[in-house]
Amino acid sequence: MTSTELSAYPGEGFEPQLVEHFVSLRRKRVLEIGCGDGRLTFQYAPRALSVLAIDPDRPSIDEAIFQQHARGLSNIEFRIGSIERLPRPGAPFDVALFSWSL
Amino acid sequence: MVHALRRAGRYLRRGGMLISIRPHRTWRPAIAIVAGGRRLPVTTLLNPTFEVNLEAADLALERVVDEGSFALAGVRSARFRSYLDRPSQMRTYLELINPPRPRFPRGGRARLDAMWDSAPRGARIEVMESLVVNALRRR
Repeated sequence: MTSTELSAYPGEGFEPQLVEHFVSLRRKRVLEIGCGDGRLTFQYAPRALSVLAIDPDRPSIDEAIFQQHARGLSNIEFRIGSIERLPRPGAPFDVALFSWSL
Repeated sequence: MVHALRRAGRYLRRGGMLISIRPHRTWRPAIAIVAGGRRLPVTTLLNPTFEVNLEAADLALERVVDEGSFALAGVRSARFRSYLDRPSQMRTYLELINPPRPRFPRGGRARLDAMWDSAPRGARIEVMESLVVNALRRR
């Protein structure tokens, strides 16, 4: 990570590589809790089957949706909310990812 | 936190994986000046409020395993580094972190400034952070 792209988070690909030490995200249905502006979501979503990414912060979700359109990724649903308020449609996910949010 | 983990478990198929990525509880952010292949440690940042949260997260992850709804699949820690061109960028860097933000210990910021003043041309400030990944498999 260089100072020209100042960030307090790890560089691109660092976290997905650690996650994939335990589980491959390829063709998986992922629930991401605390996705923020989608910084991490966009790193793994191209490999996933589908992603539901939630965060209670509206401006962050707005930014994530803007970025999603710019990147042309159609397999992500960004939603304002928390795990406590998510409707319960069964157990449809292969992976639940708490990204810096627990 | 336990409630959030239990709730997340209800959305996972049997055998599905719950992953938690968060800052490491005991490996504090370390500030150093790097120049010409040398690394001069300056200080470590403090965040007592956040450390309480991280301890609670550790306990919550242990609890859902003890309850039997998850099995521990593994834990992995890692460090990552960011580099700043000058001390004035520390403020911006810290503001990028979600509150509660870490802070310098007493005298730490002055030590950084003093060491920077005597650092050779081309030196940079290294911030070494850490994270831990827990993987729990839903039973």
